[in-house]
Amino acid sequence: MGYVAIKGGKAAIEGAAAATDYLRACNSEREAPLALGAIEGQLRLLVSRAVSEGGLYHPKLAALAIKQFQGDTLEAAFALRAYRSTKPRLLETPPQNTAKMRVIRRISSAFKDIPGGQMLGPTYDYALRLLNLGLVNEDPGVFRAIARRFLDDAPENELPDSFPKVLDALRAEGLLPALKPVAGTSFDVTRQSLIFPVPRSAALATMARAETGSLLAIAYSNMRGYGDVHPTIAELRVGYVPVMLPHPVTGEPMEAGEALMTECEVVAMFEGDDQGGKPAFTLGYGACFGHNEVKAISMAILDRALQKGMKDGATNPSEDPEFVLLHVDGVDSMGFASHYKMPHYVTFQSDMDRLRNTQAKAQQKDIPQKKDTA
Amino acid sequence: MNIQPSPALPPKFSADFPPRSRWSALLAQLPAEQVRTAAAALALEVVDITLPQSGLGLMQLNDTALNDNFYLGEIPIARAHVRVKSTDGQAGEGGAVLLDDRARLARAIAILDAVLAAQLPGWESAATLVEQGMAVHEQLMQARRALLARTHVDFSLLGQEEEGE
Repeated sequence: MGYVAIKGGKAAIEGAAAATDYLRACNSEREAPLALGAIEGQLRLLVSRAVSEGGLYHPKLAALAIKQFQGDTLEAAFALRAYRSTKPRLLETPPQNTAKMRVIRRISSAFKDIPGGQMLGPTYDYALRLLNLGLVNEDPGVFRAIARRFLDDAPENELPDSFPKVLDALRAEGLLPALKPVAGTSFDVTRQSLIFPVPRSAALATMARAETGSLLAIAYSNMRGYGDVHPTIAELRVGYVPVMLPHPVTGEPMEAGEALMTECEVVAMFEGDDQGGKPAFTLGYGACFGHNEVKAISMAILDRALQKGMKDGATNPSEDPEFVLLHVDGVDSMGFASHYKMPHYVTFQSDMDRLRNTQAKAQQKDIPQKKDTA
Repeated sequence: MNIQPSPALPPKFSADFPPRSRWSALLAQLPAEQVRTAAAALALEVVDITLPQSGLGLMQLNDTALNDNFYLGEIPIARAHVRVKSTDGQAGEGGAVLLDDRARLARAIAILDAVLAAQLPGWESAATLVEQGMAVHEQLMQARRALLARTHVDFSLLGQEEEGE
């Protein structure tokens, strides 16, 4: 049986698009359309999620995608991926250095006294999860005063723009493995298929644009006991990394702009050195565009779990590179789930035919049995 | 054509004037129209050495835990590379690469970069724009420092002293 080409539904599809837009605008008598700047500023964590999962650092287009797809992060990431596929690739940057990050938040759960100090920055970590009913009908004047008052109340400070890494201090004490030279070229997951085993750069790139919930779910399985990473966060930092590129005339590094990102380094169980050196802590690394701490932490845990799986063989799903890396992409998995909504009339017809035949055969077999028992 | 050398810090600038490596990013802090208008107002003959382009760049990051490089994702890129010649025959080369998708803005910044680097006629107005961009950037950095300063954790041992309210 082959597939049968069908047609029809054009008007319904056009109507569906109009219906979706209707629901966006049906309260337009009382509400103004969302401005992209408002989405970028007031829904900044949603924008962060879209740029990270879309794999494209373009907050303005991410805000547009969120508006267009009415807050659906999977669809927003899909739209950003579609957009990027239409643009030429002009360059690959040299490796960027997060030590130069213009930090807005920096914490460690390993030490209280980290070089440069701990700054909580913007976080809900210590907030009560109680609804703030004051935001229901927020007065625009009060809203405008928030930023001004915050800056007015800020103490005089001589803080630097960037801070040393906590891992450097641990490394200086000999508690971490020595840094090895960079091995090989980075794996480009946008142009190369994952054929296992894959290098660590492929795993990091895949997880950097993975869907937050998927990464969290698999990392959570490790945290709960299907794995033994037992991480401690050496440093979690959020800030703007200056992107340095060669100047077209001088060839010297110049700042092209900056990208907001979240970075997490976890210290995990120590292990002996293969060459008979001193035991040292193992490490996991997570990073993504935007402000997305749960994602960066989950990625760091999975990075460590995958390193273990690649070295010793996977004993848990979170240590299996194929299981993890092929199931964390939001656009891939959403696409597969959504495709079930498309017509499957022929395949289902076939399923029904098979079921009816099987039922008929079972009935024929039952008839003599029933006679026997009678 | 007499191409002028492009020193890192041309002699006529003050000591605290930012280096060339920051001019593009600082000019990009200003409204695009202001930058484009300023570049267009300079009496220059402009030749594109490379046509202005916009597209994407693949951002590579160094993993500071184990020193592996990997691709974090893509960023918008606009870039331009120009040669400019003033009416008195002086010439210079300028370039810009921006995290942006406006190629025309990159070209305008490349023109200003050339004028500044070779100190061609009109360089003072370009320098003023860089200083304005620096002021905008400094304001942004002050706001970020405020985020840190107001949330700096002052640890003390439990029971040692009461936390001030």
